[in-house]
Amino acid sequence: MTDPILRLDNVTKRFGATVALSDMSIALFAGEVHAIVGENGAGKSTMIKIMTGVHQPTDGRILVDGIPRKILGPQSAREAGIAAVYQEPMVFPDLDVAENIFISSVNEGIMLRRSVLNRKAQALIDRIGMTLASDRIASGLTLAEQQAVEIARALAQDVRVLIMDEPTASLSAHEAERLRQIALRLAREGVAVVYISHRLEEIFEIADRVTVIRDGTHISTRPILETTSDGMIAEMVGREVGNYFAKAPTTATADALLEVDGLTLAGTFEDISFSVMKGEILCMAGLVGARRTDVALALFGINPATSGTIRFKGELVSFRSAREAIDAGIAYVSEDRRKFGLAMPMSIRANISLATLDDFLTPMGLLERENEREVADYFRQQLNIRTPDVERPVGMLSGGNQQKVMLSKWLNMTPELLIFDEPTRGIDIGAKAEVHDLIRSFAARGGAALVISSDLPEVLAMGDRILVMREGRQMGILTSENADQEKIMTLATGQQAHAEEMT
Amino acid sequence: MTIVSRLRSWEGFLLGALVAIIAVNASLSPEFLTVANQINLFQLSIEKIIVALMMTLIIVNAEIDLSVGSMMGLSACAFGWLFQQGIPAGAAMAICLGVGVAGGAVNGYFITRVGLPSLVVTLATLIGFRGLARVLVEDRGITDFPEWFDRLGQAGLIGPLPFALLAFAVLFVCLWIILQLSGFGRKTYVIGTNREVAEYAGIDTARHKMTLFIASGAISAFAGLLYAARVGAVRGDVALGFELDIITIVLLGGVSIFGGTGTMIGTLLAILIVLNLRNGMALLNITGHIQTGVIGILLIASVIAPRFNLALFPARSPGPSGQIKD
Amino acid sequence: MLHRISPQTLRILALFAVLVAVILFFSTQVPNYLNGRLFNRISSSVAIMALIATAQTLVILTRNIDLSIGSVVGFVAFATGSLITGHPDLAPLVLVCYSIMLGAVFGIINGLLVAFARVPAIIATLGTMALFRSALVEYSDAKSITASNLPDWLVSFPNIVLLQIGQLQLRAAFVTALIVVIAVHFALTRLRPARKLYAIGSNPEAAQMAGINVRMTVFAAFVMAGALAGLAGFMFLARFGTITVVAGLGFELKSVAAAVVGGVNIFGGSGTVIGALIGAILVDLIDTSLVRWQLVSEFWREAVLGALILIAVATDTIMMRRLTALRQAREHRKAVSEFIATKQKRAGS
Repeated sequence: MTDPILRLDNVTKRFGATVALSDMSIALFAGEVHAIVGENGAGKSTMIKIMTGVHQPTDGRILVDGIPRKILGPQSAREAGIAAVYQEPMVFPDLDVAENIFISSVNEGIMLRRSVLNRKAQALIDRIGMTLASDRIASGLTLAEQQAVEIARALAQDVRVLIMDEPTASLSAHEAERLRQIALRLAREGVAVVYISHRLEEIFEIADRVTVIRDGTHISTRPILETTSDGMIAEMVGREVGNYFAKAPTTATADALLEVDGLTLAGTFEDISFSVMKGEILCMAGLVGARRTDVALALFGINPATSGTIRFKGELVSFRSAREAIDAGIAYVSEDRRKFGLAMPMSIRANISLATLDDFLTPMGLLERENEREVADYFRQQLNIRTPDVERPVGMLSGGNQQKVMLSKWLNMTPELLIFDEPTRGIDIGAKAEVHDLIRSFAARGGAALVISSDLPEVLAMGDRILVMREGRQMGILTSENADQEKIMTLATGQQAHAEEMT
Repeated sequence: MTIVSRLRSWEGFLLGALVAIIAVNASLSPEFLTVANQINLFQLSIEKIIVALMMTLIIVNAEIDLSVGSMMGLSACAFGWLFQQGIPAGAAMAICLGVGVAGGAVNGYFITRVGLPSLVVTLATLIGFRGLARVLVEDRGITDFPEWFDRLGQAGLIGPLPFALLAFAVLFVCLWIILQLSGFGRKTYVIGTNREVAEYAGIDTARHKMTLFIASGAISAFAGLLYAARVGAVRGDVALGFELDIITIVLLGGVSIFGGTGTMIGTLLAILIVLNLRNGMALLNITGHIQTGVIGILLIASVIAPRFNLALFPARSPGPSGQIKD
Repeated sequence: MLHRISPQTLRILALFAVLVAVILFFSTQVPNYLNGRLFNRISSSVAIMALIATAQTLVILTRNIDLSIGSVVGFVAFATGSLITGHPDLAPLVLVCYSIMLGAVFGIINGLLVAFARVPAIIATLGTMALFRSALVEYSDAKSITASNLPDWLVSFPNIVLLQIGQLQLRAAFVTALIVVIAVHFALTRLRPARKLYAIGSNPEAAQMAGINVRMTVFAAFVMAGALAGLAGFMFLARFGTITVVAGLGFELKSVAAAVVGGVNIFGGSGTVIGALIGAILVDLIDTSLVRWQLVSEFWREAVLGALILIAVATDTIMMRRLTALRQAREHRKAVSEFIATKQKRAGS
């Protein structure tokens, strides 16, 4: 048995009083895809940061090829052959692909020889299995292509341990598949691939071994064949759980709240027609690039459609701004809470009142802080937001709690139509279940929910009906009875004609 | 926030510094604490500090207005030019305020409708407004304003307090209420923290910014008129370079250049510190240019110092452990 | 076809077009406009601005700004003049080196503040602008440098004609500036260490993670900018001879204006010094031409400059948006059709 390329030996990491990692041991071998699973806050990112030199262990040691070693920073990690690829790629938008790949290579010389660089870059990209011209400017690349550039960059530096942190979270199914193939290919070449993902199906597809961590401690490491999905989840949350994604009975009424007919935004989406009943949860499924968010933003007034009609509560409406949509009773919970959802340095209280600020003003326009505090406290209790008080900056909360604050902001305006864009992305299983319950109880009280989600099990579990989009077009609406993952994917990839031929 | 936490904030630090400076000044000269000297202390820079009040909101909003000095000059020169054309002083003043509004709208248009960075736009209008001022006044100077106008700028209105000083006090109270206590102020902070979040929450950020820049233009124009009244004369280089001092004061007061933090009280304390510091230096016969150099060092020190000793100096910008300015 | 040309090249071509358009316009308005004297006059005055615009570009590329450049030029001009006045036998090369070194010292101060003390550039250079200017006042002690006290070689240096083509004279000042700009352009496009400037401005976090020593690189940018400003100070002294404490006032704004008009992105990461040079030429051309244009009072120069900057940046931004939107739409279509093709292939086999 050879030495593992990288090993953490009883590593503990403390940040002041908080223990992020406790006695963590893990061994990464060449040629293997080693998956790491755990809830958010379990310590995965701390572990990655220790491997890449961003943090130093408080206790314990790191061994590279069996020899103890200090990894003091990104440079040091690179020298040890350790690199990481994240969900959000770090590329230089103004530089081209070749320069992006070789930006920190030390053996390319002082002069920039573009032709040589391009050739080498192209070779690396081909080795990964992507089709990408090496003279493209990085800002014009898709997310998946940018990730490939990052991986090529790691290869250019003779990476031996490649850490992939939630790499497929923002990719379409096809791109995710391609990325998984890349991970397998790299492992076959001898790289130790560390694969962190919330998507258990992925892990079963490509991992050789799985490590489960919880609350900063190592729970188990097993070969993939000795694990089960339920077993992993149980270890992640520390308790036996039933099927999180069980389908609940529908609360849909026959009363249409929203009726969309022939909605078109030139160049983006075309001829979208559907309706949402009060009490109903309509899920919008599709691959990344299907333009579902664009439809949502059109309903929300931020990027209005160019033709087609929208009837809300029976009346024709055409919102030209978010304000108009909000005043009418429509809320949009965005998919990126850091960019669009929450003002991170500001207090929970200030964030919750944000969409309905006018309700908290005196006639003269002054803020009524006491009112704000009461409302924020109400939501803190209702949604079980884990925080000692509502004055804390939202940025200090965990992902799941931040999601709840964002939700509170929108629930505060007592919406009739609530549009959720990827409501459970990037939050752990426990919080996911809580969010699902919140959406269901909103619908049960008579609200209409439009849920955009790329998580097929979630879509199947939540949706009374499922609208599938592809490339800005509506491919079909399935009812929960006759929907399954196959059918959704078929519609989402536009292959239904072909599928019909085959049956 | 408790009293103790307030005192340990950046504003508390400024207060301490101010007290120290006043103590030193008082020991340097027996005349320092007289009413006449105190009023004089303000009057010398009264136009700048009036504009600094408004600049606070602009920078909290994560924007910047470099054109304020040039607008002061344009307004003063426009007044002089209009007056020379025979237009009565009162009407001329009204027109100049209109010029301020228009100038602010130009800034606002390019920033909100065309979407250019405010640094570049107000840099262009800094040059442009100054240019228009020079077109009006060329290389002459205009004096001979009506007596009531000059008196307004120089003599006391209520007791020994001149009009400009009273205007400053009123404006401070108004802007303090607006920034710290009103919905408009909350929106200013949120937009400065994250503009998209504000947009998605239904706040019309374009209109908000337009309002701020128009107000900035109007107040700068108003300050320009005050300057003309106080100095009694108008030239093409009125208020040249004032924006530097104004921005320095606001940043010293704890407003982050990146937006989202800072308070009106902080700006007021910074104003008092800079004015008293200049006064003290003048008492020590230190020339104006050197004074400006000292203020420059102060600005830099105010950003660096908090990094060295977090116990003594509090954090300026909001981080995970920072203050919340809501 | 348009997408094959890089945005930067497009920008430079556009600038050239505007330059030609402006020249043609003024040639209809001003008698005897198109002659060698125009070229000579512009080239002499633009030499200084070209150096400063280049300096400013280096800093802006890293997503910073240097507002102290005017004060540096003024101080170095004065100090150099003071040195040569006191030591008239000093060799020219020594004097030039002195100017450059002195400028670099100011650059070091800026660099330490921004790169190591982590003071935001706008604040740091706002402070050093005041600081350096007041240092000049102290140093000059209310006196000024006069041309009559300067050695002949210095005063006549800028105007030495190195090459004459018909009426066009390539004078020493212009040629020096041109060489420097071309050298810097070469470095920025061909030397890998220099490309780090672009990387830092393009994505500072990624630069950090990629192992680029951001601090040292930004520090170096400020030092080089200071050195170039020092050289500009030398040229300033040579050109004007008489230096007072207000020398160089306003240069920082003009240098940012030239860079921005020349296509340098104010947020860093893209732009060329060639573009900044053309921007400086354009600004100077309009300035000089307005003086000669009888129809419009010369006092319009600044107003026109302000409008020019707005138009240049607005056009830039709008064009960039259109190009990006077109590109993204094309890539999206390509990606989806690729995907469909592979699916079909897989299904078919």
